[in-house]
Amino acid sequence: MGGFFSIFNEDLLVATIRLSTPITLAAVGATVCERAGIVNIAMEGIMIIGAFFAVVVAYYTGNPWLGLLGGVVAGALFSMIHAVATITFHLDHVVSGAVLNILSFGVVRYLMVIIYGHPGTTEPIAKGLAEYKFAVPLLSKIPVIGPAFFNQTPIVYLSFLTVIFFLIFLKKTKTGLHVRAAGEHPLALETIGVSVVKMRYLAVLVSGITSGLAGAYLSIENSVSFTEGMSNGRGFIALAANISGGWTAIGSWLASLFFGFADALQIRFQIFKVLPIPAEFFIIFPYVATVLVVAGLVRRSRPPKAVGMDFMIEREED
Amino acid sequence: MLKGFKTLVFILVVLLISTGMVFAGGAQEEAAGEGFIAAMATDVGGLGDKSFNDGSYQGLLDAQSDFGIEARVVESKQQTDYVPNLMGLAEDGAEVVFAVGFLMADAMIEAAQNAPDACFAGIDIWVDPSTAPDNVLGILFKEQESGYLAGVVAGLLTKQYASASTKLNDDNVVGMVLGMDIPPVERFQAGFYAGVKSVNPDCEVLSVVTGSFVDQAKGKEAALAMIEQGADFIFQIAGLTGIGAINAARESGILAIGVDVDQSGVAPATVLTSAVKGITSATYLTIKAVLDGEFVGGDNKVFGINEGATGLAPFHNFDSMVPAEVKAALEKAIADLKSGKIVAPATRAEAGYEG
Repeated sequence: MGGFFSIFNEDLLVATIRLSTPITLAAVGATVCERAGIVNIAMEGIMIIGAFFAVVVAYYTGNPWLGLLGGVVAGALFSMIHAVATITFHLDHVVSGAVLNILSFGVVRYLMVIIYGHPGTTEPIAKGLAEYKFAVPLLSKIPVIGPAFFNQTPIVYLSFLTVIFFLIFLKKTKTGLHVRAAGEHPLALETIGVSVVKMRYLAVLVSGITSGLAGAYLSIENSVSFTEGMSNGRGFIALAANISGGWTAIGSWLASLFFGFADALQIRFQIFKVLPIPAEFFIIFPYVATVLVVAGLVRRSRPPKAVGMDFMIEREED
Repeated sequence: MLKGFKTLVFILVVLLISTGMVFAGGAQEEAAGEGFIAAMATDVGGLGDKSFNDGSYQGLLDAQSDFGIEARVVESKQQTDYVPNLMGLAEDGAEVVFAVGFLMADAMIEAAQNAPDACFAGIDIWVDPSTAPDNVLGILFKEQESGYLAGVVAGLLTKQYASASTKLNDDNVVGMVLGMDIPPVERFQAGFYAGVKSVNPDCEVLSVVTGSFVDQAKGKEAALAMIEQGADFIFQIAGLTGIGAINAARESGILAIGVDVDQSGVAPATVLTSAVKGITSATYLTIKAVLDGEFVGGDNKVFGINEGATGLAPFHNFDSMVPAEVKAALEKAIADLKSGKIVAPATRAEAGYEG
């Protein structure tokens, strides 16, 4: 095995991308959702639902692409509970999100017993998305960043596209402007004749789709089976990445990359026993590093003005 | 007014649904035999972990078919369920209640004090003999023996007999993926290290602690990082996190060693063997002891290789690949552990491993 500095190689960057992909996806979803004024702490639960249904569909159809679709659709549908609760029924956003997280674990265990006959881990699917890894010609030959960014598996590429798409969407499109207005000054948006409710539903749907995709990444691309609790807090890290990224798609991505990098690094620190301290200290390293960097770098970020605020128009018939 | 009402209705509906699911998913009962009831409360991992929860349950089922007892199982959803689950089983008339998992130690003592008529046995739980009530028994395993044997096999194959399989490389490196750093995990780790070093003193033995027993992605990354450094064996001691580690070994075309139960089924072309722990037989024997009136509580019982509770799973597909010399060394190590000529270390400190 090589010396300590052998860890600073292309593999470290590849590992960074692998570790950050699910966080990136959920964080961009969180960005869109919060920019529209809806706080979404349910990404953890949506991820679990997405991961589970991706495996179930891939298991029964034998096709991981249908599994991917299954995970996304399940995540989107599950997120609609949050939309209905917070937008239509004006429930507190945090309460609804917390309930969804708890609900997701119950739903998954219940369905696992029915479908697989036991909780815990599902039987492996025949073929995962990892088998569709492909290198982009030319670009993958770029030194250092080539293998990490351009020789990857399908959902990793999708996560890059997601970042770019929502970066442009929020900044440059009319609908993106409306979504942002729903989170900054909903009344003004309603006054010009655009439905705040519709924009907010759209934004929650986006977070459901991206979080479902993040779940599918965990279960059918990074692995070939589903394990209860396999998201292991990534939905909450995504929430933090969105905030430290200053509620922008690109910021969310960079924060997720940083977390993934710190995590990949601590695993390698453990291998080389860089410090004679208990392993638990290495495990908390990415969290501490993220907090420090965020506290140091992100001073001027400001949440959307109307985030978490209910929007209700008194109509005449009321 | 209307808003508050709607909120209330929403919360009630969700609560109803979720509690319904907890109950529906929570309890499974197997009815058979008459009179004697043996019961267990699982840890939060629940049945289907293909590890200690499933292993204990199998012991109950074996006792059910052999002795005609009734086996019951309740799954814990969260740590606060431990005491009510254990108490509930005792109150329902179970003669012996198993608390399955290191994390249930305090809950088992509390339940035992409140239900003095039932016997309690804790899998992977050490009880303090000076304070423990007479109706509790700690059941422990010498995981280090299974780890040691796995280490002997990996230590020989990684370098000296690396030509035996194309999945082995020339580097003298093996790796371990740990879940949480708790005593049973440490015993496996220390034993594995000692086993490797006994046959291959120059071998680099790497470990990564993931901090979780359910995070497949983390287990995979930990394994891949060690594979980058030349590891051609990954020993997983991480429960379901380890499924990800085995998956990494499969994708990288190297070999893995499973844990607790025979995990060959997870990846038949990757899992060479598994360091097993005879939870099933320990559970079975404990039920038998209670039935025969030979249950002695207030102390711990340690199951090792002489009780048939520790050892290696068969090589299955790899049986013809493993060289005869390696098999001979394994047989010798088994004999030495049985006779007490070798004592496998139970902690990193004893093994002299920084880990």
